[in-house]
Order: sequence, then C-alpha cells, then structure tokens
Amino acid sequence: MAAAVVAERVGKDYGAVCAVSDLSFEVMPGDVVGVLGRNGAGKTTSIRVLTTIVAPTRGRFAVAGVPHTRPDEIRRRIGVLPEGGGYPGRQTGEEHLVYHARLHGASRPAARAAAAALLAEFGLADRARTPLQAYSLGMRRRLGIARALVNEPAVVFLDEPTLGLDPAGRRGLLDHVRAVAAGRGAAVLLSTHLLDDVEACCNRVLILHHGRTVAAGTVAEVVRLAAAPRTAVVRVTPDAGARAAAVLAGVAGVGPVLESPDRPGELRVDLASGERPADAGPALQALLDAGIAPLGLTLEGARLSDAFLEMTGAA
Amino acid sequence: MSGGRAAPGWWVVLGQELRDVWVGGRGPALMFAFSLILSAVAYLVATNTALNFLEQREAVGLIVQVSVAMGGVLVVIAAADAISGERDRGTLESLLLAPVPRRQIAAGKLAAALSLWPAAFLVALPYVWFLGHDVGVVGDAVVVGLVVGTLLALELGALGLVLSLFSGSNRVSLALSLFVLLALFAPTQLSAGAQQGWAGDLMLRANPLTAGVHYVGRVLVDGHSLGRDADLLVAPAVAAVALAAVALLAAGRMSLRPGGAR
Repeated sequence: MAAAVVAERVGKDYGAVCAVSDLSFEVMPGDVVGVLGRNGAGKTTSIRVLTTIVAPTRGRFAVAGVPHTRPDEIRRRIGVLPEGGGYPGRQTGEEHLVYHARLHGASRPAARAAAAALLAEFGLADRARTPLQAYSLGMRRRLGIARALVNEPAVVFLDEPTLGLDPAGRRGLLDHVRAVAAGRGAAVLLSTHLLDDVEACCNRVLILHHGRTVAAGTVAEVVRLAAAPRTAVVRVTPDAGARAAAVLAGVAGVGPVLESPDRPGELRVDLASGERPADAGPALQALLDAGIAPLGLTLEGARLSDAFLEMTGAA
Repeated sequence: MSGGRAAPGWWVVLGQELRDVWVGGRGPALMFAFSLILSAVAYLVATNTALNFLEQREAVGLIVQVSVAMGGVLVVIAAADAISGERDRGTLESLLLAPVPRRQIAAGKLAAALSLWPAAFLVALPYVWFLGHDVGVVGDAVVVGLVVGTLLALELGALGLVLSLFSGSNRVSLALSLFVLLALFAPTQLSAGAQQGWAGDLMLRANPLTAGVHYVGRVLVDGHSLGRDADLLVAPAVAAVALAAVALLAAGRMSLRPGGAR
C-alpha cells in the first residue's frame, strides 16, 4: 500500500526564523496521526506546508502520491480544517458546504447532494439554513470537518480541532475523526497539544520540537523510545515501610523510593531503566528475600504525556 | 464529484461574492447611500437650473460626473476589502485551500466588486432622464457615463484589489485606496488657471480620473460629439487595462501573508 503522506527533510524558514527545520515521516491510508508539539513547535507551519498554503524552503513531500511541485493537484486530494476555521458569518451551513464543494469542482446538484449528506452525517441537518454566526463553536468545528470532506479527500488535515470545546464536544468530534479514518479510509493528521486527544483517537503520533521531528511511530513505540520512567506503588505493613524502602533503594534498576506521608506502608518506586524495559520483578524478589510480605503492587505504565514532556524538555 | 457540469473557479467565486454583496446587505446599503447623495446633488443642480445659475446641460454633466466618481468609490471600497478583508476575518486560508488558481479567485472577486458600478449607474439613470430629457442629452449622457464609468470602475477596482493583496490589514487597504482616489481627484479641484497650458493639459490627460471627468464635460456640457475628444479616453483605457493586468498578475502570489510571501 502506498503511503498517503511522505515528507523528507522538509523545512520552512520565514526570513531568518526557522519555523520547521527537518520534518520527515510517513503516513499510511487509514492512519490517524497525532501531530504533537508545544506552542511554537511548528505544527501549524508543517500543516500549512503540507497543504500547500506555504511553500517549503527545503526538502520534499508527496501527498496522496502527488509531489509537492503540483500544489493544485494536492489541494484536490486533501481536506483541511485550518487553525482559524474560516467561517463567514453570513453564510448558512448549507451554502458554505455547497460553495466549497463547487470550488472543488462539483456541479451545483452534486454539491447540494454532498452538502446535504455531510450535514446529516455531522448532525447539522436541522441547522442547514442557519447563518454560521449563530453556530456554536462545536457546531462550527463539525461543519469545518464536514467541509474538509466535500471532495472525498485521501488525506485530511485537522489543526487543533478540539481547542476550546467542552468534554462532550471533544469526545463527539474525536468520534467523527475516527469515523473519517475508519469509514472512508482517509489518512488523518490531527495537530494538537492536547495529549488526551491523541491517546483517545490516534494510532500513530508525531512529536515536533523546535520545528524538528523528535519522535514518530505508534503511541507505544514513542513511549518506549522516550524511555519514559515507569513507576510502581508497593504496599507493605505500616511498620515495615522504612525497612522496605531501604531494601528497595538497594535494588539495581530502581530509582528513588518515596514513602507516602499520608499512607504509611505505601511506597512509590521509580522503575526507570534506561534502554531496558522496566521490570518490577527484582524489586519484588528483594522484598521477599528480606522477609517483607508485599500487600499489594500496582504498576503504572508510562503515558504519552511522560514521553512528550521528556522529548520536548518540558518536564 | 459527478452529475452535471462543474463551473470554472472564478465563476463559483463570483457567484458567492455576488450573494455576499447583494444578499448580504452591503450592496443595497451602499446603493441607498449613493441614491441619497445623488438626490441631494440633483436637488441642488435642479434648483440652480431653475434660478438660471446653471444650464440644463451642465446639470446633466454634473450628475453624470458625480455618478461616475461615486461609482468608482463604491467599487474601490468593495475591491479594497476583497483579499485583506478575508485575511482579517480569517476566511482566506480556507479559500486558498481550494484547488482554484489564485488568479481565478481574484478575477471572481474583482468582477463582484465591479457589479456595484452598473447598479449605481442604474440608480443614476432616472436622475439623468429627469434633468436631461428637455435638452435631448439623455442618450449621450448614458453612453458617456457607461463608457467612462466602466473604465474608471475597472481601473479603481483593480487598484483596490492590488492594495488589498499587499496590505497588512483591511483598514490599511481601505485607507490607502481612498487616499489614492482622492489624490487622483485632487487636480479636478485646481483653479482653471492651473489647468491651462501644456503642463495643465498634460496633467489633465495623463490622470485617468481627470481625463474621464473632462470627457464627460466636453460631450455633455460643451456639446462636442462623442468622437471629437476621444483622445481623453486613452488614459482611462490604458489605466484600466494596465491595472487589471497588474492585479491579475499580482494575484498569482496571493497568500496568507500580505505581499505574496509564501
């Protein structure tokens, strides 16, 4: 299967300012890729380059098999929800979708049919004739995604689609994002700085930092790549807490051990292990060898947020 | 995308822009303001004609000149908003993401801005008829007004579009456009002495606005034939073609940042 997006050492400078310096990754059809990065990491610029709104300063990329040297052709095959949205207040939802479908080459009847189907799909059919200035933020975002689909794109770019939405709105919108990939087979690149969004709906992740790709892969791969610390919470009897802490501190591969001041006998153990996978076995064995019976052991796997903070130096 | 024939991009943009101008309310509001100004001018010139301070032909000439000038102002206001307004409202990016060449987007927007001119001229026609039917200059007034007004509308629309492409904000674009417009109109307010001699004549003929306005006066007030002073239309015609070409060329570099930096 051919990649939906291939970027090779793409860079973009604005004068002396380097916004994106070395963007390299591949996205396959059906993938939902979370593009993560702190503010100013280059997420929006990367999307603008890949959607041909701005020209790359260096490197090359192809979208849906079309090289970046043919921007008009790329624009025919992509759908985009830009960061600003771009919703003319006086247009109705229906007019807006019909207009964009026609800009993408649909005849008037075909555009109307596509608009009606998308409005129904995104739960906006009853507001089709309402001016966009009366739409809520969530409705506008759903309409924005619908607009991105008017041309049945091979790749969909969504720039901060859930920003400012309430939890229910976010969940609903992410459901739509998943459906776009699963139902239409389109590749989706979702730019966000909300890690929960990525964990909730992306199967791959791309982390940008200072305009560079610092990690790319599945969520699990990225977490592993970051060698993010895992922790274990060990519970022993309150009177054995101090002794258990001393025993655990002497085990190879175990980092700092902290006894909870509120819950005597509860120890938080850092299992940071560098390149090796974290393993609580030696710690558990050491306790048993010392005659301390663990009452409970809870392992806390590293989350994407740990990897993200470590890779972007924000920990 | 199938079923029926797809329209060219500029036509789709034009359709939407016409809806925005005429259904969105801006066009009718501008026409209402224009008709108020024209009514005031017509009342004043009709009164002066009745008092024999102004000949009937002069009154018709003045109405046509005001219509042509105001039509240009309306077009430049709309054109100056075309790109910088979309930028300010955050709607330009979604438009640029469509697979429509930038020049077609600009052409559609320019054509929509130009639609204000024929509408303004339609509003002016009853005033022209009212003031001119007694002296038999209505036909000439319509022809002269249409020719000069169309040329001026095209050049001012193109000028507004160029400034809109290169301006950092809509306010700057509008302010610059109106400033240039006033600068072009300024020579018409010079004393008669300053407009005499070869320098005055050159200034009159080289400035497309003054040349157009004087052509209207020569035909309608002085009673010259349409062809006699046609050389006065050279500057408006050249400016219209040149500025339209510049606008469409510059539109090829239309981008989110003013000035075409991509």
